[in-house]
Amino acid sequence: MTFTSFKFLLILPILVALYHVVPQRCRVLFLLIASYAYLASFSLKAAVALAVATIFTFLAAKAAGNQASPQRAYFAFLCSIAILTLYLCIFKLAAALPFGKLAAPLGLSYYTFKLMSYVIDVYWGKIKPAASFTDFATAIAFFPQIAAGPIQRPADFLAQLPPSRIAIWMGLSRMVWGLAKKLLIADNLAPTVNFVFAHTHTLNGPSLLAGFYLFPLQMYADFSALTDIALGMGLMFGIVGPENFNRPFTASSISDFWRRWHMSLTNWLADYVFTPLRMATRSAGTAGLALSITLNMLGVGLWHGFTWGYFIFGALNAAYLVADVLTTRQRAAFFKARPNLNWLGNWMGQLLTLHLFFIAMVFFRAHTVADAAWLLSHLGIGCRALASSGTLASIGSSTLFLGLAGYALLELAERYRPDQWWARLEPSAPVWAQWTIRCTLGTCVVVAFFLITVRPGGQETSFLYQVF
Amino acid sequence: MTPAQALQALTEVFRTVLDQTTLVLRENTTADDVENWDSLNHIDLIVAVEKKFKIKFTTREITTLKTVGDLADLTAKKVNAAP
Repeated sequence: MTFTSFKFLLILPILVALYHVVPQRCRVLFLLIASYAYLASFSLKAAVALAVATIFTFLAAKAAGNQASPQRAYFAFLCSIAILTLYLCIFKLAAALPFGKLAAPLGLSYYTFKLMSYVIDVYWGKIKPAASFTDFATAIAFFPQIAAGPIQRPADFLAQLPPSRIAIWMGLSRMVWGLAKKLLIADNLAPTVNFVFAHTHTLNGPSLLAGFYLFPLQMYADFSALTDIALGMGLMFGIVGPENFNRPFTASSISDFWRRWHMSLTNWLADYVFTPLRMATRSAGTAGLALSITLNMLGVGLWHGFTWGYFIFGALNAAYLVADVLTTRQRAAFFKARPNLNWLGNWMGQLLTLHLFFIAMVFFRAHTVADAAWLLSHLGIGCRALASSGTLASIGSSTLFLGLAGYALLELAERYRPDQWWARLEPSAPVWAQWTIRCTLGTCVVVAFFLITVRPGGQETSFLYQVF
Repeated sequence: MTPAQALQALTEVFRTVLDQTTLVLRENTTADDVENWDSLNHIDLIVAVEKKFKIKFTTREITTLKTVGDLADLTAKKVNAAP
């Protein structure tokens, strides 16, 4: 039962209505039961696996936060991090091996990182161990975030309990925004992208360029849509989650880009992987910095799965980041001495960042490294659209046009944020205007779910980031 | 050394490392308030502070700091505790 299934459309309003009427002291328990029921609708085993990991971490963190016995605390901290890492790696490794497929529980990568950050924060003394198991288990299993994040640290979630600021209409508008991104942009770009990456070796020239440029746009529209839906749903249950994106394709450098893309993951890795590594290697100077960046970015890549494509994605971004960080001062000095070239530097920076990231994304998306290498090495060769097996035109230029036009609108909307204008205007708007907007939002959600359900093939669409 | 003196000395260190000659640090300043202060150069700042005051921080200490005021307090405490 994905967020875009018809069943979910029926269940969500009932959950929100019930949540509104249950006493405040019971809301956390309500969320916990709803979250486990949601997870169990995919797989009972996944729900059991999450419960076991949660109970283990809750008890381990109690020991890791034991101030009276630092040695026992250190032992509990080390053991729990090792076991959680092993738990994550076993499933990731099993998924990567050609034999004996072992399906990873839904949301594994997301909730394992939540569990790890909790143990580390308790051990470092940043937070006290949670007093209530129900609160803690809810922070880990919270269903809007379970399938694809964002990765909300338990400390941040627990500080909002019991949830009191339920924002149904604000949440609904965020959901509509996400559904529009998914339906109008991501799903219209998907056929072209899927075609190009399924027929890489029979295509060259413009077709490969289309795949090269469109996949990152599709990925951004798709993943940020999922984040919008998750954050919107969170608001409907009184939980404010962390943002995941901040207009990443306007970044002026690769380090700026990684402050804007999948922020809940990159912030997590910065705090729990990069900073400790950098502290441990700080006496090694530049070599220590390069090593810390490399291991951190390989972590970003391999978090998605143990494949060569993800490894190269991480390695390329590591190389970009190292080059960026090591030349920051020289670039700043160059442009400081030539202020009339600043505009050119900004444009060049944006274009270069965009293309460097797009090159890495080919390895992220291609089925094999050979496919990615073929695509990149044939981008500029010939104008022949393809050699065999159908044409890009057969997919339908109207869907591609809709996708691209939608993407242009998305960039404009994220720059000027009309939703924020409404949030400011709403309190002073007349009641009829407030309810007109609310009814429109509700209708948009129903229409969006209906469109998803009756689309050709009648299948629910899945989100790209729901598989991690 | 008092935390106020440490804050004054930290301002000089931050100005040099971040290459911002007019930077002003206050007790409640955080990384979000200072341009170019991010996770990539955070430890460069810490190393510069360690060198200037001949002290050492642990990872646990660094990760629990929330504001520049916290760093000033910790720096003053370590300088005063040094033999």
